[in-house]
Amino acid sequence: MITIEQLRYVRLGTRDLPAAADFATRILGLQLVERTPQQATFRSDFRDHTLVYVAGDPSEQAVGFELRDEDAFQAALAALAERGIQATPGTAEEAALRKVKAFAAVRDPSGNRIELVLRPMQSGWRFHPTRDSGVTGLEAVALRGTAGEADGDFWTRLLGGRVSDWVGDAAYIRFDGGAHHRLAVHPAATAGVLAVEYRVEGVNQLMQNKYFLQASQVRIVHGPGRRPTSEQMFLTFAGPDGVLFSYVTEGEGAIDEARHRPRQFPRERGSFCSWGSESAIPEFA
Amino acid sequence: MIRLQDVSYVRLGTRDLDGAAQFATDYLGLEVAERTRDAVYFKSDAREHTLCYFEGDPALHVAAFEVAERADLDDAAATLERLGHAVARGTPEEADRRKVRDFVAFRDPTGNLIELVWRPAFSGRRYHGVRDAGITGFSHIGLCSTDPVRDEAFWTKVCNAKVSDRIGDAPLLRIDEVHHTIALFPSTKAGIQHINHQVETGDDIMRSFHFLNDRQVRMVFGPGRHPTSSARFLYFEGPDGMVFEYSSGVGSIADELLYRERQFPFEPRGFCQWGAKPDIQEFRK
Repeated sequence: MITIEQLRYVRLGTRDLPAAADFATRILGLQLVERTPQQATFRSDFRDHTLVYVAGDPSEQAVGFELRDEDAFQAALAALAERGIQATPGTAEEAALRKVKAFAAVRDPSGNRIELVLRPMQSGWRFHPTRDSGVTGLEAVALRGTAGEADGDFWTRLLGGRVSDWVGDAAYIRFDGGAHHRLAVHPAATAGVLAVEYRVEGVNQLMQNKYFLQASQVRIVHGPGRRPTSEQMFLTFAGPDGVLFSYVTEGEGAIDEARHRPRQFPRERGSFCSWGSESAIPEFA
Repeated sequence: MIRLQDVSYVRLGTRDLDGAAQFATDYLGLEVAERTRDAVYFKSDAREHTLCYFEGDPALHVAAFEVAERADLDDAAATLERLGHAVARGTPEEADRRKVRDFVAFRDPTGNLIELVWRPAFSGRRYHGVRDAGITGFSHIGLCSTDPVRDEAFWTKVCNAKVSDRIGDAPLLRIDEVHHTIALFPSTKAGIQHINHQVETGDDIMRSFHFLNDRQVRMVFGPGRHPTSSARFLYFEGPDGMVFEYSSGVGSIADELLYRERQFPFEPRGFCQWGAKPDIQEFRK
């Protein structure tokens, strides 16, 4: 089994790189790290970057997960090969673009591109966004899944994730002990990144962001609310190219691995928000 | 006795408002709170503003201190007039421009323009600098003094300041538990001698040292450490020759009964315990 160290980055294709970069800094409140004609990278914490916008096809998306070391990386390649899953090693140029030592790309059963990376770059400098967004780091990614049980199998049996809770057939999956989940897979008609979630300091920052987004005429699609699963407060809004972004704060925090049992919640509005907020997200309907 | 509660703001005249504003934001790291036709207000902490540059004579410096009650303004005016200081009552428009409810203005024995203010405005929004200078707030001022012994008597006998330490005859004066809020330095003219902002850590001092050095800002003292307050410091020159200081870790005097002020020599080792030598006229014999 492959052991994932941590969620690392999300790469999103876009037809309009300047507009996406403007969204990431001015609206979302991340810090621009580097901008080339091909891509723009953004920081949210001590990691070199956690979000990348790449000029090109918006359906070209990838989620990067870090593996602990060279041994884990080689073991992962072997485990994938044993299951008959083709892992494409990244070229040196592709690795440099991602600021990682090495990586291999695989597709989950739904077709989402997953990048397993080795030695991603860290930054010694404190994160300081242009706007006081209160962001403290990349928290989680929500994916659309089309493959049902095969997806669950891929993420848990092969990649070592543990299911923290289910809402209907949507699974909230953790890898490290630090959070209720780092990945959510929501059954959908097509694959792709559903939402990228950033943690903010507290409820004040979440609500300040809500009013800021409203004043900036950004479409809020869900929340403010609280998830009965992770106990996180959340606010979800529309970003470029149909990808959603969320701010989350508070929540259950570290899971007691010995005692936690995944809970099954019904697939209904109250399972996505215990305050009863209405959602405009088709995957939550 | 005039009871000073806190230092509230400084007002500095300048012939180049845009240049001064650029320095205050891009280099010093403050946030613009408000821009009017002939003045720019800057935020450094929870207060609405702590620095104001206005279109005017660069020799015009004003330091403001907060008093607790409106009646304190009348009492102070009576005390000052009895001692022969001319006192001007602020008009409502002047009070609005200072973001206070009421104030009186006078000159200290050296001729420094001092304002006593009642109910200076706070802000519901926290401070967020454009650049990550780590500023936690406006903290103290150095004042020029043509006779430090005479002026010490004014600030300690007419006002409520207490001597925390002396460097030669230059007293470091406290009005609360912070080691000093006012410092008097020998000079031949009146005016604000330096303006201090506190930063989070010693790392912030060193980051700013390199940041400002890279941009050819003139360093005038430090990085160093004051043997008096034990704060780490950096002094550099801003517009119109004004000296700005960052410091971190200023001592606090918790026990008023046990504390005894100390005498330090008026030479570099009295100002810095690491061996930095000041290139500041008022810190040299």
